[in-house]
This record gives sequence, structure tokens and C-alpha cells, in this order.
Amino acid sequence: MNAATATGYNFAYLDEQSKRMIRRAILKGVAIPGYQVPFGGREMPLPHGWGTGGMQVTASVIGEADRLKVIDQGADDTTNAVSIRRFFASTAGVETTEQTADATLIQTRHRIPERALQENQILIYQVPIPEPLRFIEPRESETRKMHALSEYGAMQVKLYEDVARFGHIATSYDYPVMVNGRYMMDPSPIPKFDNPKMDMMPALQLFGAGFEKRIYAVPPYTKVESLDFDDYPFEVQSWEENCSICGSNHSFLDEVIIDDAGSKMFVCSDTDYCRERVAQQENPA
Amino acid sequence: MAVISNTLIAGFNDPVQDAQQVFRAALKAMSEPGTLMACSFTKEAPEGLDNSSWQLALTLFDADTKVWLSPALAQNDAVISNLRFHCQCPLIDNTAEADFALCNADELPFLADFNWGNAEYPDQSTSLIVQVPAISDEPFWTLTGPGIETQRSLRIAGLPEHFRADLIRSRQRFPLGIDTFYCCGDQLVALPRTTQIEEAC
Ligand SMILES: [Zn+2]
Repeated sequence: MNAATATGYNFAYLDEQSKRMIRRAILKGVAIPGYQVPFGGREMPLPHGWGTGGMQVTASVIGEADRLKVIDQGADDTTNAVSIRRFFASTAGVETTEQTADATLIQTRHRIPERALQENQILIYQVPIPEPLRFIEPRESETRKMHALSEYGAMQVKLYEDVARFGHIATSYDYPVMVNGRYMMDPSPIPKFDNPKMDMMPALQLFGAGFEKRIYAVPPYTKVESLDFDDYPFEVQSWEENCSICGSNHSFLDEVIIDDAGSKMFVCSDTDYCRERVAQQENPA
Repeated sequence: MAVISNTLIAGFNDPVQDAQQVFRAALKAMSEPGTLMACSFTKEAPEGLDNSSWQLALTLFDADTKVWLSPALAQNDAVISNLRFHCQCPLIDNTAEADFALCNADELPFLADFNWGNAEYPDQSTSLIVQVPAISDEPFWTLTGPGIETQRSLRIAGLPEHFRADLIRSRQRFPLGIDTFYCCGDQLVALPRTTQIEEAC
């Protein structure tokens, strides 16, 4: 066992039986892209806001050779991101990093990094509500049937109601996708800006929902399409402004209030991407 | 449920770390169908098992997984004693109830005999581990589908004709289906139910 690992805990905190169960569910998820695999066992007792599903998946996948990055809304330095990194550094003795390019595992809440992910990287999403049809149909037995029959018309109706009311599709987060042309999937509450990054991504994408105990997956190089209509094609958010720090005109921007008078600026939500761009501008290769 | 002690061998040297690494190899194999992986975390396997299928068993089988063995394996004291001792998995007679099936290629039953899952829960299917005489990336099967950027070549020796034909045809019943691992020595390759297979004539 790695000398840096906290003693008295299981490696990565989770017991081996739970890991095996989750590992079997992950393999099934990969084999049936976009389908929600139920898994049993008890919930991992963790602080609120850590996303137990993402934590369970990370704990079952992570090994001593990994370098872990954790982002929360794109940032590596929020309280939750820092705590989760420290948790795995101490319970699994793994290296951590803030650099997307250096990470082998990235656990995320609410964003996909701007830098294109590569083969041999794994992106692990924390998912609060795994069922995209839940707000249309509260009964699990019914949503199971809808998925079994690919009966997804109700979601199209919901999106079209947006069009009727607002003149465009107003849904901007948690925007539903079709995986490999078969299963409708909730991409977790990422901005729809990130949806196109899921399509044919070279990295493996794993999703963990702790409360509902569901795991799902998108293998590398798998088709992921955002729902839309012929007359209202899918569009991502865009900004008039550029990032105030790195000048990026193509990343997802957060609006930040900078003084008591309410002045605003826009900055990249992906803090590592912003840092990397600034470093390149200071030291062009 | 007897375990014959003189057939018992050691499992993983470091059960936690080794199982994690074998799982990652299995995950990569399943995520990138047709990619050959190597697992060498055990020095020996019970006689009758390949090193890679033994490591998959140590990593994925436990008291919660019902396991079906093909006839020669089911009659092999070393195989059953070590599976019972190290994995505590129930060994069953009925293929249709198996969570995992561990088979020699020349003993494969019909694919239809396994559990393909059901429309609401396609994950409740049998996962199949087949021990084969050789695996290579020679062009025989051309693979496409999720996890494969363009296409990948794979040749697995020793699979019966009926099995190859049924596996290729089974893709029409997605999301029902059987996910398969193929093992030879330390080598491991996987074909999930999403992989489309074209066979050179
Ligand atoms: Zn920036």
C-alpha cells in the first residue's frame, strides 16, 4: 500500500465489495451507451454537495497511477473541488493536478473542460437527477417503458413548448441528448454550450447518480446528438464579450460583479483553460 | 460446496491494487472494442483457466454473481475450488440465470441459451468470458461502433461457426444482447453488444 495513503481506510475509502458492484455496473453502462444501470449497496456517507455518485464512480475507477483533477462549475479552486482532491490524495495516495492535459481522471460538476479531452482520459460527471424524463413522468416503471420503446415524443413536445412561448428553445442546462441514436440521456446540469463536446469525444465519459443509484456511460467515439427540430436547430450560448483575463472569444463565460457599484466583467468559467491561455500569451512557444 | 485444499493457489498479491488495474484493463477493453490488453498480475491460474480469465474472475466475481461454467471447467476441481475459495461465487447449472458464464471456446453453448436482458433492464444480461486458443489483430473481423473511431480488425481463433454467426446477428436485437470478453494467456479483448462485426469470407 502506498505510504502516502491514510491508514485505517479502504483504498479510495470505498470497500472492495461496493467497488466490484459499481465496476460491474460501469462495464454494463459502457456496453449500453446512455442507458441507466441501477446499482445496489448503501450510499457513501460524504459531505453534502460532493456528489456521492461521482465519488463512488471515481473511488471504483481510481488507482495509484492516476492523476486526478476535480472541477466544480469549471473551477479547480472551489471549496468542494479542493476538498474532493484532498480526499482522494489522502485515501488513495494519488497525484492531483489542476491541468486538464495532465489528468488521467477528471471528476466534474456542471462543466466539460474547454481543452479537448484525449484517449485514455476518463471524465466522471456528478449527476443529481439521472432520468431526463423524470419531470414528464415521475414513475420509474413508466420511464423504463418509455426508454424500452424509445418513446421520446414527450420531450420533443416539452422543447417545442419553449419554442412556442419564447421563440427559441429556452432550456440552457441539462439539455437532453440522444446517445448512439438509441437512448435519451441527461448530460447532467452542464450548460448546453458543452453538449457538442460530448459527441465523438476521444475520452470515456462516466456518469454517477448517488441518490438514485444509477450509472451510465458514453464510450469514446460515440455519437451524442442534442435534441432539436428542423426549423429550430440546436444552438449553443454565445457572448458579445470576450474573457477579461485571457481574451478568449470562444469559451463559456461567467459574469462576475467586480465592485459595489455593480460593474461586471466576463471571465472563462474553466479556470485552467484561462490560465493556460494567459501563460501561452506571456511565453509564446 | 467442498473446496479441495491441495488445488488452491494464491490469488492477487495485492488484492486491492491488482483488482483495480485489472478492472481498468477490462474497462478499456470494453470501451475500445477489439483493443488487445494484457493482464499479468497473477503468476499462475488454476489449471484449466487462462491467466486473464482468472484475473477477470478475481476482479468481477463475488457472492452476488451467479456463474455458469462450461462442462470441462465445471468438472475441474482446481477451477471450482479456487472460484469458491477466492470469489465465493455461486456456481449454477442453468445458463439462462447466469450473471457471468466462463466457457472454453470449443464448449460454447448457443448464444440464445444465455440471458440477453429485457427491454426495461437490458443490463440484466449474462456477461460471457470465453477462453480461446489465439487472439490477434489480423484482419478477419472488421469492427465498427461505439469506442471505435473508424474501424478495427480482430481475429479470435477457435470460436464455433454457430457462435460467430449468432453473435453477428445478435446486434439486431440491441439493446438486448451479450457482452463478451475473450481470454488467451495474459491477453484480453472485449466486444460489447454495440460492436458491429463484419466477417471476411
Ligand atoms: Zn479566459
